[in-house]
Amino acid sequence: MSPLVSIVVLSVIVLTFGATLVALTSLIGPKTKQSKAKKMAYECGLTVPESEVSKVPIKFYLTAILFILFDIEIIFMYPWALVYKDFIAEGKGLYIFMSMAIFLLVFVFGLLWEIKSNALEWE
Amino acid sequence: MNQDAIIVTVNIIKMSVIFLLMVQLVPLLVWVERRGSAFIQNRFGPNRVGPLGLLQLLADAVKFAFKEEFVPEKSHKAFFYMAPVLALLPGVLAFGSIPLSIPFTLSGEGWTHTFPTQVFDLGIGIVFVLGVSSLGAYALLLAGWGSANKFSLFGALRASAQMISYELALGLSLVGILLCYGTFDFTEMIQAQQGPLSFTLFSKEYTIPFLPAWGIFYQPLGALLFFVSVFAETNRLPFDLPEAEAELVAGYHTEYGGLKMLMFYIGEYGHMMVASALMATFYFGGYTAPGLSVEGVQSFLTQSLGFESANAISMMTMLIFHLVLMTKVILFLWIFIWVRWTLPRFRYDQLMDLGWKTMLPWAIFNTIITALFILARGV
Amino acid sequence: MISAPLFYGFSFFIIFFSLLVLLSANPIVAALSLAAAMVGVAGVFFALGAHFIAAVQVTVYAGAVMVLFVIVLMLFDLKRDESVSSALSRFLKIAVVGLILGLITGAVAMSGFDSSLQIFVHDPASITPTKKLATLLFEKYLFAFEVLGVLLLVIAIGVVSVSRIKGGTHAKS
Repeated sequence: MSPLVSIVVLSVIVLTFGATLVALTSLIGPKTKQSKAKKMAYECGLTVPESEVSKVPIKFYLTAILFILFDIEIIFMYPWALVYKDFIAEGKGLYIFMSMAIFLLVFVFGLLWEIKSNALEWE
Repeated sequence: MNQDAIIVTVNIIKMSVIFLLMVQLVPLLVWVERRGSAFIQNRFGPNRVGPLGLLQLLADAVKFAFKEEFVPEKSHKAFFYMAPVLALLPGVLAFGSIPLSIPFTLSGEGWTHTFPTQVFDLGIGIVFVLGVSSLGAYALLLAGWGSANKFSLFGALRASAQMISYELALGLSLVGILLCYGTFDFTEMIQAQQGPLSFTLFSKEYTIPFLPAWGIFYQPLGALLFFVSVFAETNRLPFDLPEAEAELVAGYHTEYGGLKMLMFYIGEYGHMMVASALMATFYFGGYTAPGLSVEGVQSFLTQSLGFESANAISMMTMLIFHLVLMTKVILFLWIFIWVRWTLPRFRYDQLMDLGWKTMLPWAIFNTIITALFILARGV
Repeated sequence: MISAPLFYGFSFFIIFFSLLVLLSANPIVAALSLAAAMVGVAGVFFALGAHFIAAVQVTVYAGAVMVLFVIVLMLFDLKRDESVSSALSRFLKIAVVGLILGLITGAVAMSGFDSSLQIFVHDPASITPTKKLATLLFEKYLFAFEVLGVLLLVIAIGVVSVSRIKGGTHAKS
């Protein structure tokens, strides 16, 4: 069996199992009278304010986008690690090391700059 | 049944067994966690239902199923129901790609087939696991946004920001060990860890006969970084900021109860199992143990225990090697539980500082040093 | 050898979620559908034997870029925007989708396809394609690779600067 088929079949098994459990609760759980107060979201007993506008620090956005950038750089190191020994065996060890060293230099510079400019500061 | 039908059947059985193994280990782990925490805190823990309280979780599961369903009024219903189902997926898929034992061979009339013990044998092993586990953030985000509750939303945002931050350190800490093995495939990694420990120092080769060639001896820093980042990835103490009860009630699953909450737990414990299995595979020789060889186990089975059928011997050998892996996995799971009841929680800024300003630079350092060593040694 | 049913299955999966991206009124539903479509594309990459590219597709696009989208969307108060689409805009949406769908179908129908195309043949457990990719990357496209590193640095600096423009929640005081 090809691995892709296995992945798809396993996903289907898991999702079916999960959906069954979710359906089970709504089917066999007791049904009691619903009131407005009961159906409210949990807010430590207070009434939920009508307007739900909440201010979220821009930090979350900044963290997410910096994560993408660094994630792409790290993904590139995986194929590099895969062929590193092959290149050394061919006698091009210094070449492959330097190619990543320059890339890493830019990476480290970026990281240091982020730290220096307080972009990673949470208060 | 012809050969193909048997192969397909065995594969489907294998899948179900691996999935059920994960789901069934969760109640056991919850029991270990509760008894363990009680032991650490000098309490009794659950000890009423069944011997040693072992049936407590069965009782809990039945109770969960008969709980009244609660859906908050303003919630996005589809997301609210989808989130716990999606929480199951990453852990199971990642666990499916890790080899749990040596392959086993089944033979019948006129056919022989060797089955690998992972559900899917991918050439890219670890990259697949990283990819799948990066999808774990969706379940949290869906749960947080879908419940229309501020605590849930903030819990989910915190959880995803934390998960993605530590994913960097996690990904980078593995580059060192990948440099050592030069492969993405788990089976090849385990093969590379056979034999006694040997290393080259100043162009002289040293061999330590009493130590196995496990990854931990080549990559101690990488192993440490990896282990710390998986704690953050699984959102467990000391990194359980997403569900910091003093601040956020219960984080992203504030509005969930009954079986739906249980599914988030299965997801979390699934993550822990994947992390433990990866730790064993990368740094502790996977399903192998020093002094334990396939031939040795087989001769033990035939001569001492009197097994005769080739199928039975193959299956039993597979089972014994599987137990070796499970021993290691359970050891790491116990460390997870132990740490949870030992260390206090981080503050959120400390957590982010640790991820970005400490772990990431050390992981880069580890990568460069490893690359330099391999370059100096010349393969 | 990957069978045709799998390919068609993934194709319909991608098309379904891509349509959902266009047709759903809730931007979060749209973003999540796009993520699902990305996973489907990864499945097709996998079927074609490009395992590493498939995993990168999942890690970077579905796991990172779309998570960013979803996080950003969740920062806004979206509840009020849900009912703005009028009958006209809905009609326009469907018309545009239909037009694009028609164009694509037409293009496929007119170009004609070779049914004997053997693109699916590969060794499933093989790592060679990834090694080939890596060798190409570090030999032929090394310069592009290094420039990419600089480009990412520039983006990082730009992002930080934009997020600190005066008036934001984290403005420089």
